[in-house]
Formats: sequence, C-alpha cells, structure tokens
Amino acid sequence: MNWAIAPILLPLLTALVTLFWGRPSVARRWGVALAAAAQFLLAVWLVGETLRGSTCVLGVGAWPARLGIVLVVDLLSAVMLALSTLVTLATVLYGYAEVPVRVEHPLRTPLTQFLLVGIHLAFCTGDLFNLFVAFEIMLLASYALLTLEADDWDIKHAFPYVAINLFGSALFLCACGLAYAMFGTLNFAAIALRAEALVGDFRLQLLALVLIFVFGLKAGLFPLYYWLPNSYPTLPAPTAALFAGLLTKVGVYVLLRVFGTVLPHELTFAHTLLAWLAGATMLLAVMGAISRPFIRGILSFHILSQIGYMVLAIGFFTPLSLAACILYIVHHIVVKSSLFLIGGVALRLNGTDNLDRMGNLWKHTPWLGVLFLLQALSLAGVPPLSGFWGKYLIVVVGIEQGAYWLVGASVLASVLTLFSMLKIWNGAFWTASDTVPVRTGDRRWAALTAVVAGLTAVSLLIGLGAEAFVQISLQAAERVLDQEGYARAVLGHLGKVP
Amino acid sequence: MQLETALLVGVMFGVATYLVLQRSFVKILFGFLILTNAANLFVLAMSGRPDGKQAPVVLDAGVPMVDPLPQALILTAIVIGFGVAAYLVFLLYRLFLDQKTTNAAELFDETRNTGLDPERHGPSSA
Repeated sequence: MNWAIAPILLPLLTALVTLFWGRPSVARRWGVALAAAAQFLLAVWLVGETLRGSTCVLGVGAWPARLGIVLVVDLLSAVMLALSTLVTLATVLYGYAEVPVRVEHPLRTPLTQFLLVGIHLAFCTGDLFNLFVAFEIMLLASYALLTLEADDWDIKHAFPYVAINLFGSALFLCACGLAYAMFGTLNFAAIALRAEALVGDFRLQLLALVLIFVFGLKAGLFPLYYWLPNSYPTLPAPTAALFAGLLTKVGVYVLLRVFGTVLPHELTFAHTLLAWLAGATMLLAVMGAISRPFIRGILSFHILSQIGYMVLAIGFFTPLSLAACILYIVHHIVVKSSLFLIGGVALRLNGTDNLDRMGNLWKHTPWLGVLFLLQALSLAGVPPLSGFWGKYLIVVVGIEQGAYWLVGASVLASVLTLFSMLKIWNGAFWTASDTVPVRTGDRRWAALTAVVAGLTAVSLLIGLGAEAFVQISLQAAERVLDQEGYARAVLGHLGKVP
Repeated sequence: MQLETALLVGVMFGVATYLVLQRSFVKILFGFLILTNAANLFVLAMSGRPDGKQAPVVLDAGVPMVDPLPQALILTAIVIGFGVAAYLVFLLYRLFLDQKTTNAAELFDETRNTGLDPERHGPSSA
C-alpha cells in the first residue's frame, strides 16, 4: 500500500462515518478519539519513514505527471501532519471533557474532520491546482465551523472572514491560470524544473507577488490580517485552539513549499518583500495584542505576531533560516493551541475572559497557572523553553545578513509579547478580589487542565530536547530547498525521469 | 479572441470589485458571483488562441485540439464556487434574520441598537 493517501483518507472516513452515525453518543466519541489517535500515530510513523530519506509519492490515477494529481509526503509534510494530528487529538479530547454528550453539536466532529482533510491535502499535495482545492475544502469546513455554534452577536464576525477568503480564492485561481500559461503544467516538480529558464522574466515576479498575496492572506500577514482577530474569539474554545494552531500555519507551510521547492531561488525581491512585511506584522500585531482587554483577543493577535517570525525566517531564505522557520512552526502550533485551551479553562472558571473582571485563579488553581506561565514564557521566547530556539536561530541568521532593523523589530516584539502575557497573568491569575467567583465546584476544569498538561509536556519536550528537533528541521529545510531531489523523487516515481 | 477575452475579464473584475464594496447584501453577493466567474474565464483564456483548433470532444486526425486541461480545472472551480455561493447566500440570510438589516455598514455599527445585550457578549464585541 502507498501510504501517501492515508493522512487524507483517515479523516475523510472518520468524517463520513460520524456524519451518518447519527446523534452524538459515548460510542461515537470513543470511535473519533481512537481515529484521531490512529491519525497521530500514522503521522509519527511517516515522520520516521521520511526521516530516513525516503519520499512517499502517489500518482493518483496513474496519469502522466504533467496532467495528473500527485500526492507527495516528504519530511516537512510529515512533520506538519504530525503536528496537525496532535493538536486535533488534544482538541477533540478537550471538547469531550468540556461538553456533555447530550448537548454536543452533532456536526462539530464531522466538520472538524473535513477541515483536517483539507489541511492534510494542502500538506500532501504536489500540484498547484490541487492546493487550491485543498484550500477550498479547508475554508468551507472552517466557514461552517465558524457559524455552526455562533449566536446572534457572534455571527456577524464570520462575514469579513468569508468575504476576504472568497476574494483570496478567486485570486488563487487566477494565479493557477497564470502558472499554467507560463509553465504548461501545474505539477510542483515540473514547474521547479521549467522555472529555471524563466528567471528574470517579469511574469515570474508577477506570479510570485500574486502568490504572496494569496498565501499571505491565509497566513495573516500585514496588511491582510484584519479578518483574524475578530473572528477567532467567537469560536468555542477547542475549535478556536484548532484554528489558531493550524489554519494560518497552512499559509506559512505553503509559502515555504512554494518559495523553497517550486519557484526559483533567485527571486530576491519577493524574499525581501516577505521579510519586511513580516517585520511590520510582528510589531503591529503585538501592539494590537496589548490593546485588547480579553484573553482570546490577546491570543488571536499573538498568532499574527508569531506568523511574523516564521515569515521573516522565510524572507531571509538560507537553509538555516528555513530550518528556524520549521522549528518555530513546530513550537508555535503546540504552544498556541494550548494557550487557547488554557484561556478556555480560565473562561470556564471565572465565567468571563474579560481581564477586568477576572482574578483569583492562582489561589484556587495553581497548576493551571504553572501551565499558563510555562506556555506564555515559551511564546515570549525565554530559554530554555521551546520558543527560544526558533527565535535564536532567526536572530542569528538576521545578524549574519546584516538585517539589523528586522532583528531589532523581532526582539522588540518578543519583549512586548512578554508584556502582554504578563497582562493576562496579572489580570486573571495574580489579582486577588473578593467579588470574582472561581467555580472549581464544576469538576470539568480538572479534566480540561489534564489535556492542556499533555500539550504542555510536548512543548517542554521540544524545548528541552531542542537538539533533536533542530536536526529534524535542518534536514527538512535542506530537502525543501533541494528542487532537483524533489523533482527526481516525484517524476522518477511516475516513470518519467527528466 | 484573446484581446476581447482579456478586456472582458478586466471589466468583470472591475464590476465585481465595485459590487463587493457596496453596502447592500444583495450587491455583495452578486459581486462575489461575478468575481468567481471572472477568475474562471481567466483560467479558460489560458488555453491559448482557439482559432483553427477543435473542441476536445471527438477528434479528427490531424486537427489540433484546444488544450483541455484549463477546461477541466474550471469545471472543478465552478463546482467549488457553487458550493461557496450557496454558503454565502445562507450566511447573508442568517445575518439578515439575526441583525435585522441588509446593510453591511450597519452590521458593524456598534452604536446601533440591535436588541442584543452587549454586556452578556462583552469580550467579543470589543
């Protein structure tokens, strides 16, 4: 069996089975939890396989490479798959601990799995149009999740999200057309081979700019991030954690893949543009975070600020900086999801996540405070937690390249991140107030905290065992940049050695 | 044919952008429908000049064929666009039911009295 299809097939089957299973029940929950665990184990196994240098390639329908759909799982894809399935597993368990079976929305699980189908297809696909389809599957599921449990007040925040993504999709379709006109194919490997001849052609620059716009929109780059900080806080906690962890990172992954593997490496103008947009993103977004008075709003802006770091690393465009980007993605997905989940627990305990009306959490639930502190300091980049290593590598590359303004911006954004995290710490955990109730009588918070503790353990593992993760990231980055190796693996597998 | 198609795509993009930026839900909806079709037409135009070529249905030997791949691509894109359009119609209808308005500017007017309690929804309204 060719395992490249499995990461897409498993969530698809889970989605279809749960869709027709009927009402939520304990049995259905066990089934979904087991399926999520199986997906995670499969992804970890794929990481092991690809770490040994192999690349899983599946030519769907055995069409020639120029025309057919290709699924490719290399090391970077496998790492992303492992992260997305880990976060899904955690959020599924969190959702089950939070909501009793009888009030669970029957469509939440199938839609989450459909979302995962789209995300995994984006990670595994080997051609540009299939990437468009993956984005659409992902977006349709996310639209539905965004409005599924929204009340009268929340629903209007879905509109800017839908509108801007529709616009992005139309432009992406145009970019596909443009690429087809230029290269005569949409296959990543075939484009990589043919694009070398077009270096210096202005159409290539134009294509790069359109793609930066489209993927920057998905990733939440300045000035295209307006849609994110208002729409994410309206989601229920586990879904918000899933969105926060994965959706924008799909945009970053695609930027990595397209600029590293597909387009020629000589597009320095596009790389510089990415770096400066990233610098603006991290500073402006962290200021947005400081201005917000409630936990989910602060965290939503922080997603954007962190996106800035990843894209800055792509903008520097050396093997080391791409490795830093991958390491940062690994750290960020785990930490950001668990922070959203901690915010959800705090919301449940205090009955609100408005910092002016919160407090007393440290006195009643010190372990939640410890988890929050670990993850918040990790997000700010305090050594030896996981966030430090990615930032350190990015700063090292930045100084090597003499980009002092951008390095300065990234350090400043780090300090401001710490500041806004302390704002949450002071408001929710440290404040002692007689009027704020802490509802520890509702025992659900303990199970929720246990799920978060699991994610925190993973993030501590990344921080303390950083050497292993740096090695994996370095190898992944090398293979992303190795266009000829990628083309040989894909086209060679399809029996058409160039 | 190429020039006319290019002009048409340009006009459609212009009209779509104009409509999307309007306040009325119905105009926004039509704007997005036109936008999708403009993108589809753009991809279709990438088949190259159709002059003297045959449609890729039944092939006579020796006659060149129009490149069928962009047609296959927009077929997929049309289906996706149809699904998204259906979703958008329902979203706008629900917004109309919940917010009692068909005006996008009024939707985000914080001072408008919606009958909803902003205190209960405090954080997300900020």
